[in-house]
Amino acid sequence: MGFQITPKEYVDYLVLAGEEIEKNGDYVTALDAKTGDGDHWVNLNAGFQKLIAIQEELKEMELAPMMKKIGMTLMSAIGGSSGVLYGSGYLAASKALKEAEVLDIDTLYLFLQTELSAIMERGKAKPGWKTMIDSLYEAVEAYRMAKEVGEDERCVIEAMKRGAAEGRDRTREMEAVKGRASYQTNKGVGELDPGAVTMCIQLECLSDYIVKHQL
Amino acid sequence: MITGYLKEGQSRKMKKIINDPGQVVSDMLAGMEAVNPEICYDKENEVIYRRKKTEKVGIVSGGGSGHEPAHAGYVGMGMLDAAVAGNVFASPDPARILNGIEHADSGRGVLLVIKNYSGDIMNFEMAADLAADMDIPVKSVIVRDDVAVKESTYSTGRRGIAGTIFVHKIAGAKAENGGTLEEVAELAQKTADNVRSFGVSLSSCILPGVGTPGFVIGEGQMELGMGIHGEPGIEQTSMKSAAEIAEIMVEKITADLDYSGREAAVIVNGLGGTPFMELYILAGEIDKRIRAKHITPVKYLVGNYMTSLEMAGASMSMLRLDEEMKQYLVSPCNTMAWKEG
Repeated sequence: MGFQITPKEYVDYLVLAGEEIEKNGDYVTALDAKTGDGDHWVNLNAGFQKLIAIQEELKEMELAPMMKKIGMTLMSAIGGSSGVLYGSGYLAASKALKEAEVLDIDTLYLFLQTELSAIMERGKAKPGWKTMIDSLYEAVEAYRMAKEVGEDERCVIEAMKRGAAEGRDRTREMEAVKGRASYQTNKGVGELDPGAVTMCIQLECLSDYIVKHQL
Repeated sequence: MITGYLKEGQSRKMKKIINDPGQVVSDMLAGMEAVNPEICYDKENEVIYRRKKTEKVGIVSGGGSGHEPAHAGYVGMGMLDAAVAGNVFASPDPARILNGIEHADSGRGVLLVIKNYSGDIMNFEMAADLAADMDIPVKSVIVRDDVAVKESTYSTGRRGIAGTIFVHKIAGAKAENGGTLEEVAELAQKTADNVRSFGVSLSSCILPGVGTPGFVIGEGQMELGMGIHGEPGIEQTSMKSAAEIAEIMVEKITADLDYSGREAAVIVNGLGGTPFMELYILAGEIDKRIRAKHITPVKYLVGNYMTSLEMAGASMSMLRLDEEMKQYLVSPCNTMAWKEG
């Protein structure tokens, strides 16, 4: 049997991701100050700290309502554009996962794919626009391809992690289409997108958590 | 980020009548509630709403703070039912907006009046989705009146500025007169389609939470077309006379929409740091020029209607009227910032 992430285990992953985001504060803020408002990390970190604060409540919930609660919490606690984007992703996932009790190789894919579509739709943005989408998009693509060719679950999850990092790294050469960086004359070229960096942290933590505990 | 330059010795220190930079939004809204018996303040959600709920289509607007009296100052009979405040120059989140929708909903649906900024659009649309999940019918109108910004396919496009106030007024009046959600939304859209604005900035402004200006407009300079959050405009130029500024505003606006032979309503809007004396000088110059273009002004609003903290400067918004819009423009309303009838 393959991996099965229960709501409680998903919350454990969120706590780890929150700790990792917390550690990267100076790095992300310095990056953001070069191209954006400089407030991305502060806001995102506030969102994850809020999730950590309510972790016991989340752990008691079923998968779909938990996803909804996470979405609403991130929306309010992060605020601005990142808040509504993460919120949209989790709320859409909550609807898509109504029938699911755990995240396995199929429902985790459904979760990530749904999150990606919802964020793209809400932000009216596409891969290649130097945003958080770039890391998630490459991760979902790598997941899909590895799964399609019949790789074992560990390979699929590790492929997702590599995809996330590749997507993040590609933002360095991209020109920003939306947001503050797009007002700059060089469109942020030469720097990683902070939103892609923090998205990648989460996907790497998710991959590491699954591999370490279940595969 | 400092663009332009600061003259030596020119102070950048913040001097504001506040208690705590972190509390400016809630302190302001509490003050508004204290002085206006018609409105209530929901502290949890930073929402101002009408004390007396009547059965009609609800009108909700909102956005970042720092543009007062927009939007809480327009809550009252004949205009908005709720205004949702974000932090200074930042969109409120969907949960707060949803709360505003709930305050405004009397079972006949709610219209959201949204200014065209990517953050506002995302947060208001998300709130509309959440309201739909709760079976509250919601429609939206997006205002994009600032002709200083070029329209384009991918970027956010024209910003929503002071012309939004006309949409509040006319949609609010239609709702007050028993219009259905479809009718109110349609008229709001027509109003948004017929209003154009253009602004000039003479100085920067200081966000209370930041304490120093995010940009500086150089001595003897002004910026044409700057946004109400200090977004870059068309160009920086040397300071001009009221007549020259009026000329630029009227030309930019009438080049974008044909007002010739029509009646119009005009807002001569101060950005926060410009005295009424200057606004009236500007209004007089605007009046001469639009009449010369065979436009008949039937209604003027001169004052601070949508500001950028203490920024000096002004914008002109002009609405091309038809009989329907004119009727609702002058029908009664009772809000802090606009009273009619």
